[in-house]
Amino acid sequence: MAAEPASDAEVERLFALVRGRYGDRLTPAELDEVRKGVEGVVQTARALRAVRLESSDEPFSPFIPYRADP
Amino acid sequence: MSESPAFLPIRRLAELVRSRTVSPVALAETFLDRLETLGPTYNAVVTVTGERAMAEARRAEGEIAAGRYRGPLHGIPYGAKDLLATSGGIPTTWGAAPLREQRFDFDATVIRKLEEAGAVLCAKLAMVELAGGMGYRQPHASFTGPGINPWNPGAWSGGSSSGSGSAVAAGLVPFAIGSETWGSILSPAGFCGIAGLRPSYGRVSRHGAMALCWTLDKLGPLCLTAEDCGLVLEAIAGTDPADPTTSDRPWSYEGADVAGRRFRFGVIKGVATGSEEAVRANFECSLDMLRGIGTLEEVELPELPWEAITRTILHVEAASAFENFIESGKIAELTAPEDHYTPYARDAILAKDYVKALRLRGVMAREADRVLSRFDALVGPGRAAVAPGLEQEFRSAIRGSAPDVMGAIGNGAGLPAVCVPNGFGDRGLPTSLQFMGRVYEENAVLAAARAWQALTDWHLRHPAVNQPA
Repeated sequence: MAAEPASDAEVERLFALVRGRYGDRLTPAELDEVRKGVEGVVQTARALRAVRLESSDEPFSPFIPYRADP
Repeated sequence: MSESPAFLPIRRLAELVRSRTVSPVALAETFLDRLETLGPTYNAVVTVTGERAMAEARRAEGEIAAGRYRGPLHGIPYGAKDLLATSGGIPTTWGAAPLREQRFDFDATVIRKLEEAGAVLCAKLAMVELAGGMGYRQPHASFTGPGINPWNPGAWSGGSSSGSGSAVAAGLVPFAIGSETWGSILSPAGFCGIAGLRPSYGRVSRHGAMALCWTLDKLGPLCLTAEDCGLVLEAIAGTDPADPTTSDRPWSYEGADVAGRRFRFGVIKGVATGSEEAVRANFECSLDMLRGIGTLEEVELPELPWEAITRTILHVEAASAFENFIESGKIAELTAPEDHYTPYARDAILAKDYVKALRLRGVMAREADRVLSRFDALVGPGRAAVAPGLEQEFRSAIRGSAPDVMGAIGNGAGLPAVCVPNGFGDRGLPTSLQFMGRVYEENAVLAAARAWQALTDWHLRHPAVNQPA
C-alpha cells in the first residue's frame, strides 16, 4: 500500500520537535538524515491511518493484571 | 575417528559421542582450535570461552563414560550470539563498542538449558551492534568488524546474528544460537547457506537476552540442517517463569521420516517480485520440486500495510528499550555512523499511530492464522537477494526501503519459519527458501524443510575453508 510523499507540514512540525530535542548534538549532515527518517515515520503512519478499523478492533497486546500472592 | 567433525551434522556427531568413538574433550579441542584460528578470518567471534568449554566437555565425557547419556546435544560444542548473558566473567557485549566490558553474573535461560542438555559453550559469537536496533544499513556495524561470508570474503555474512551464521557455515561450531526481531536469524542463515529456525514467539525464553523489542524478539538455532534445528529447539524450548511471555504449550521435536509424506504448500501471490534474478529462478525451480512432494496453491493476502505495522512496533519498542542509551548520547560511540543519529527520528512516531499498529497487529495475526490453517507452510525466497558486498549499503525492510511481507507478517504475528539453502546466485553466494507455518507449528515447517533437504544436496555443500597461512 503506497503512501503519499511526506514532504509537508506534518513532517516539518515533527522534524522541528526532534531537532529541538537533539539538534545540538547533530551535524547538519546528520540532521538531514534525521529529517529523512521523519519523512519515513510520517509515510509509515499514513499507511496505518489509511486502514479503517472498527472500535471493537482492540490493540493486540493483552494486559494481565498482576498480583504477587495467590 | 577418520571423518573430520567440522561439517558433520549434530545427529552424526551425537552417534560418535554416544558410542564413545569420539570424546567430547577432543571435540571441544577441535572446535576451539577452529574458532581461534579461523574465527578472525570471518570476524565471527567475540570471545572464545575455552575454560568453560573444557570444563563442560570434561563433565560430559565423565557422564557418558559412566553411562549417563543426556541426549543428542551431550558433548556437542556450540556458539551463542553475544547478546545472551553468560556468567563466570565472560563478557556479553551486545556487539557494541561501549559495552565491550559488560558482564553478567547469571546465564540466560537458553544457555542454562543447553548446559542441562550437556552442550558445550565454546564461543560468544559476533553480531551487529545492539542487534541492528539503531537502524544500521551497511555491514560495518559491529566493533568486531563486518561479518564475512565464508562463501565469498567480499560479501557480508548477514545480520544481526552475523557470527552465528558464518561460524556454522565455516564449520567453526556444529550449531549456534541467534536471535530474530525481524530477519536476524533468516538473513545470516540464507546468506551463509545453512539452516536457521525462527521459532514461534514465546516458544523460547528470552530471559537473559538483550531486549530489543519485547514483543518481537525470538531466540532460535542456526545449524547445518533443518533436522539439527529441531534437535536444538527441543533443548531450548519451554515455559520459563523468568519470561512470562513463554508459552506453556509443551513441545517436542517430531523427527520422524518424512519419506512419502505429502505437504500442502501455499505461495503468497507475487512473493518473489522484486527479488534478484537468480533468487527468482532458484525459487521457481524449488516450487517445481516441491510439487513432487505436495500441493502448491497461490494465495492472495488482503491489502494491508504489513510492513508498516511491524516496523512501527519495532521502532517504538526499540526506542523505549534503549531510551537511556539514546538519550545519553551514548549512541555516538557506536561503530556505524548511521547508528549515531537514526534512532532520534523515532521520537516523531505519535502514540495514536502506535496504537493503530497494535490494533492492526490483531488483524494481521487473525489473517495469518486464517490463511495458514489451510497449509503446512507458506513458501517463499529466504532472502530477496544474495549477500551484499562488504562496502555495499543495503535495502532494509526495517528501514522501510524494501518489501518483505513474509518477514513482516512472520515476525509481527510471531510465526515460526525455517530457512534452508536452495542454490547459488551471483558471486557464488547461496540463495535460500523459507517455510513459514502457523504459530506453534515448528514441527510442520521442520518436516517440510527436511523433506526439501531429502530431495536436494545444497546443505551438503560447504565453502572452502582453509587454515590461515
